[in-house]
Amino acid sequence: MNAIGNPAPRVDADLKVTGAARYTVDLALPRMLHAKVLRSSHAHARVAHVDARRAAAMPGVAAVVTRDDLGGLNANYGYFIKDQPIVAIDKVRYIGDMVAAVAAETEEQAVRALEAIDVRYEPLATVATIEQALAPAAPALFETPPPGIVPAYGTGASGFKDPAKNVCYRFCYTHGDAAAFARADRVFTDEFRFSRMQHYHLEPFVTLARVEAGQIELWSSCQNPFPLRKELARVFNHPEQNIRVHVPFVGAGYGAKNNCKTEPIAVLLAKLSGRPVRFCMTMEENFLTQSQHAAILRLETGVTSDGRFVARRSEILLDAGAYSDASPLVAEKAGYRINGPYRWEFIDSRCDCVMTNTTPAGPFRGFGGTQASWASESQIDMIARRLGIDPVALRKKNLLKLGEAYVPGESGMDSDLAEGLDLVCREIGYGRGERTKGRGIGIAIGFKDSGGVNKPAEAQVKATTTGGIIVNSGTIEIGQGIQTALTRVVAELFACPSARVSYGPIDTDVTPFDQGTNASSAIVVMGQAVERAARDCIARILDFAASQLNCRPGDLRLENWAVVKDNQAHPLAPMIMRHFGGTGFEFVGRGYFKPETDHHAPLEAKCVSWEIGWGAAEVDVDEETGRVVVRKLVVSGDAGRAIHKDACRGQDEGAAMMGLGQALFETMRYDGPVLANIAAARYRVPLASDLPESFRAVTQEQGHGPGPFGAKGMGEAGMLPVAAAIANAIEDAVGARVASLPLSPEKVLAAIEAKRAKT
Amino acid sequence: MNQPEPIAIALTLNGRVLRASVAPQMLLADLLRDQWGLTGTKIGCDQATCGACTVLVDGAPMAACATFAWQADGAAVTTIEGLAAGSALDPVQEAFKARSAFQCGYCTPGMILSAKALLARNPAPDRAAIRDWLSANVCRCTGYQMIVEAVEDAARRLREGGR
Repeated sequence: MNAIGNPAPRVDADLKVTGAARYTVDLALPRMLHAKVLRSSHAHARVAHVDARRAAAMPGVAAVVTRDDLGGLNANYGYFIKDQPIVAIDKVRYIGDMVAAVAAETEEQAVRALEAIDVRYEPLATVATIEQALAPAAPALFETPPPGIVPAYGTGASGFKDPAKNVCYRFCYTHGDAAAFARADRVFTDEFRFSRMQHYHLEPFVTLARVEAGQIELWSSCQNPFPLRKELARVFNHPEQNIRVHVPFVGAGYGAKNNCKTEPIAVLLAKLSGRPVRFCMTMEENFLTQSQHAAILRLETGVTSDGRFVARRSEILLDAGAYSDASPLVAEKAGYRINGPYRWEFIDSRCDCVMTNTTPAGPFRGFGGTQASWASESQIDMIARRLGIDPVALRKKNLLKLGEAYVPGESGMDSDLAEGLDLVCREIGYGRGERTKGRGIGIAIGFKDSGGVNKPAEAQVKATTTGGIIVNSGTIEIGQGIQTALTRVVAELFACPSARVSYGPIDTDVTPFDQGTNASSAIVVMGQAVERAARDCIARILDFAASQLNCRPGDLRLENWAVVKDNQAHPLAPMIMRHFGGTGFEFVGRGYFKPETDHHAPLEAKCVSWEIGWGAAEVDVDEETGRVVVRKLVVSGDAGRAIHKDACRGQDEGAAMMGLGQALFETMRYDGPVLANIAAARYRVPLASDLPESFRAVTQEQGHGPGPFGAKGMGEAGMLPVAAAIANAIEDAVGARVASLPLSPEKVLAAIEAKRAKT
Repeated sequence: MNQPEPIAIALTLNGRVLRASVAPQMLLADLLRDQWGLTGTKIGCDQATCGACTVLVDGAPMAACATFAWQADGAAVTTIEGLAAGSALDPVQEAFKARSAFQCGYCTPGMILSAKALLARNPAPDRAAIRDWLSANVCRCTGYQMIVEAVEDAARRLREGGR
């Protein structure tokens, strides 16, 4: 192995440490205009009147968009449900909903022009929380259901659009016989609350668009350019071949940068003005564009008195915010993952997406798995304590074994769960040492499938005359290090130095199809496509060389841009030029991967991989103030095979710190429908000073992954166990359970006092 | 409305004296990025909170998004583009590169300049001092630990004869 596991710096290191890396936010075009949008100050209102004539005549203004400019367009976008308008049409549904947009010579002029737009609202009653939205007398966000589809499901899974007022989607999954509950000695019903975070990606939502001679061209800070192209084609009734999306480096997303954000408005303004338009949101606008899903999770869990898991009924309510966005998919994942990597006789899960007059919720690192792991891993600890069984022993008794199917029809576990559990227990010192008052240890196992749903990927690998190799793949470099991972996979297969391999730019006109950079899918889905493309390219090279050397391809192997036959190296460059001429040639290989469609699998295809985040925390709890200090935090993911160890470690550590913020303090605080902590300075994210005294991420390489050389995806796992591990540690420390995030001093103190009152 | 008079300024940017005529409300970040094309200085929160736009003004870390261009008049300004000497990276850049102390890279220029300012004041900071100092810069990707290690590494490199 020369490239896999090689600690040489990431391929994007020089660009990123010198400031030379270009992001969408850095791009400009001649005659470029700047866009700004007018946002609703009402959480829910009928839009009675919009008049932008005065704004259109303001200095520097080149184009204005209101609902009157949507003629000929399919003005609503969304993943499965097309409910979000480019700008408000009949109603506004949250504070920050986009009502109008202006493109002007400067951002300042655009902002001034927005002030001149006359909008009259007729306020409606609002629903700011899940409970309010589900109340019988609640106003409906949508009086008539918007169009949409329910994706195909296999055995045991089902989906329903608009099953109830203000519920845009419901996912259900069941297997086994409900009579199993009768075999449980104890049934525990507990409710958990999950608060929502903002992604807080530092590069804002930003698009630069131009529309010239029937060609829509855009550069966007986006995670999924191909689905975006398809959606823009539908919205603008524009041929897909005449839409071209470029994605340079992306200043992170954590899920937020899937599908339409700044793109439709930038394109529409470019179309109307005939000039390039840059639409760059502010960080405050990010807060009004996308968030994680807050959730209420009720679990009814039946176990035997010796701790065998028997049956579980789950009801999950996700706060979808004002538009459906990715909520149906998040519901599917939360509902599917809620039972964790354990064996059950009966499962019945239901997850509803509840619409509220708040920022639309969408994909967020962990994608429903974070909510599910929080509730499930909290409850498992509570059950262990109620039964008087050690929480680790209880988990071990029920964990799925390596290779054991998650549920009937599903793929098997590709990590040894007990091995990881032992590891974090060892690292944190579980069960060892003296007990100190107010100090406790908690363990949790975060769980999700990875690789997306039924996800296809295409890749291309080209080799030039002189042995330069170019990988063309639609996976976006969003920080995870995918350029490094995929180029090293190819270098390994070509048996050449990794510096010989470059990663091509993302351009939907030439880059092969990818569904999106999400779901920790790049190494297990795209990685397999790239591996196949490299092997295809190598096969073509060996075929050619064999024809030149009058032998069979099987007699040859490739090494450092020569073919080796009987221990003799034949350099390829002169051989290629002898045959193709002095101007040379390119060998092109293609690779495709998609999990097979399978109606027996609940999600219509077996999950490609399973992503596990083992976590352990040691906390000190101040019983007078409720303050929690995380002294030690250990997380561990399984990379299968670490292609670049530092990059893997960085994924786990970054995810774990995000989980720490989620656990302790980070939350979008709503005062009714008003987001109270919308500014960067008021929304607290983890800082370097929040690092626990001892913080360790251990990258396991268990070797069972489906990706190249046994690799697995690992971008999300580190986030999943942290909140539950900390809540479990708090209970271990002071005997008080907090079932609601964040684990603020107020809540911890209230739990301690409630416990005191009982005893 | 009368346009306010532009202000003539001169500053030493990455070692070169540059002159500009700037509107009174123009921000240093916009002068660097829009006028001079130095896009290594990133804007994140635009409220002097996240630290992505950190530049050094006479050696002090400043939020370029909250500094008027005219405030840099007569000062020596260092941006990320000014750290490397040709193809030779600054020891802090070398350490960030060697330690993979970045992911998406958006906070990295500000982080590196912030670290540079720390090491100029304290050539041998302990972990607590590094954590404390870097808490002026948000990194949402890495979880900070590898950045802290890179700054320790950079301090070693500087002590062992880097610049």
